[in-house]
Amino acid sequence: MSDITLTDGVYVRPEFVHKSLGAAGHGEVERRLTWFERISNVEPLRKFSVLILVIVIWQLYTTIWDVHELMFPTFSDTFVALIDSVVNGGLLENVWNSISVLLKGYAIGICIAAVLVVLGVTTRFGDDLLTTLTAMLNPLPAIALLPMAMIWFGLGEDAIIFTLLHSIIWPVALNTHVGFKSVSETLRAVGQNYNLRGVMFIAKILVPAAFPAILTGLRIGWAFAWRTLIAAELVFGGQVQDTSGQLGAEGSNSGGLGWIIFQNQMENQTPYVFAGLFTVIIVGIVIENFVFRNLEDRTVRRWGMQQA
Amino acid sequence: MTESASQDGTTLIRPEIEAGSLKATEQVDVERKLSIVERISNINSVRKLTVLLVLIVLWEAYTKLAEVEELLFPPFSATLITLWDTIQTGELFEKIWITVAILVQGYVAGMVLGAVLLVFAVMSRVGSDFLSTMTAMFQPLPAISLLPLAILWFDLGAPSLIFVTIHSVLWAVALSTHVGFMSVSMTQRMVGQNYGLRGVSYIAKILVPAAFGSILTGMKIGWAFAWRTIIGAELVFGAQSGKGGLGWMIYEKGDNLETTYVFAALFTVIVIGLLVENFLFRNVEMWTINKWGMQR
Repeated sequence: MSDITLTDGVYVRPEFVHKSLGAAGHGEVERRLTWFERISNVEPLRKFSVLILVIVIWQLYTTIWDVHELMFPTFSDTFVALIDSVVNGGLLENVWNSISVLLKGYAIGICIAAVLVVLGVTTRFGDDLLTTLTAMLNPLPAIALLPMAMIWFGLGEDAIIFTLLHSIIWPVALNTHVGFKSVSETLRAVGQNYNLRGVMFIAKILVPAAFPAILTGLRIGWAFAWRTLIAAELVFGGQVQDTSGQLGAEGSNSGGLGWIIFQNQMENQTPYVFAGLFTVIIVGIVIENFVFRNLEDRTVRRWGMQQA
Repeated sequence: MTESASQDGTTLIRPEIEAGSLKATEQVDVERKLSIVERISNINSVRKLTVLLVLIVLWEAYTKLAEVEELLFPPFSATLITLWDTIQTGELFEKIWITVAILVQGYVAGMVLGAVLLVFAVMSRVGSDFLSTMTAMFQPLPAISLLPLAILWFDLGAPSLIFVTIHSVLWAVALSTHVGFMSVSMTQRMVGQNYGLRGVSYIAKILVPAAFGSILTGMKIGWAFAWRTIIGAELVFGAQSGKGGLGWMIYEKGDNLETTYVFAALFTVIVIGLLVENFLFRNVEMWTINKWGMQR
């Protein structure tokens, strides 16, 4: 920058004239991507290969280092165990047991949450009751109530459903209530113009307007319930073993995925434990990405309340 | 009004109406002081406290009047006395400390691991794919179901509890933060590039502040899962080993039918949950995203 000269108290820059623009003249303006680049731009393919890679590393690690099957089974062993427990071990039956308990709890929980929220929306006392209860009970892990539930309802499905209820009601009620409160005055006024009152007002104005929040609540409720269910089945496993000294005592439990995991671990059949974990993952993925995604597509996305 | 409107060709003409007088308004109070009951019941906290008191009174009355067995459902007073006892003997604080120490270790380790994964995810496409595949796989897996394996690998004890806590925090935080990073606006990214920020300093100075809202959401979800997991894990442990924190206390006392202790422990769990959610996270929120004007 030493070219800048000071003339009459003013800085004057030298004039520049570019002879040519060199590189830009013969650079590649357009170039076809190589096959490799094009393939690696396909996202599902990339993620799938990551998955394959992880599996290959797992398989290699366990076979080459000769890790004991008891500690960390190979992928192939896990796969064989999975097939075996589906075909012979009644895995699907246990999955169904877990899911049916979950569904019962979920349905009852949503009904109770709905009653609480309706009360909370229509009366000020209900509102206070709901906020106090959710503030108190939402931070309490549902599983902590299991010992009490076992005292009140005995070892069995009822105790699990009671705990599940607790894990579902509060997140659903909390989110729905907050969602209802933030429905805009305009929409409320529309409802009043149509002379909607009470339950009709809630069903036709508040529920559709607050549906994203309700859906969030349902999702969180599902996540907590699923975790609580598995944990409850694990505790049950311990309890049954603790009291009767024998595993899988008939009639003392309803079975289920958590139970299988516990039982197989006790019998040191680690591949079967892994198979159980796989099933838990698959059920979780199916419900989150299939059930809730579909529900979202059909409601909030279709209504234009949320972009893809 | 339609009856009195007369049809004249194609235009409807309404009759002219002149209101006689607006008497009623003169006799109505335009402004009135609320009565004391109304004024008191307009204070939110007073109302909520009353609801709480009513619930407690109902509980106490129910257990006393219906003479419910203390084993099944202890009265509020008995629960309070037990709570006071356990506080005085220091038993309660000991249990709280065991649980919270493990929770904090697991939480911090989970956050550090999540940060490492995220740094890779931001810097390379392979890292990003790896992270999203792993979160998609492990996010739906309840951490507690890994407990039997953790016991197998790390034996009964703190390490297996920390392992499941890490698992419950890691994926929730990583998922939420990753989504937050991806939705940081191009303008802010370019500001970072203008300053010549790269790698870790780019993440620390641009991405983290810009995505702090979702990071905090992830941390809250992670905390909720971790808290539930640790209590659950201690319950499962209860069946197998003989020591532990709050969850173990709930299990052990439940097993011995010392129900008042179970209720006292449940109270403590609620109080800790409320403290962390409404005090810790609320304060972090105030110092960061509220102060920065990202959230009102």
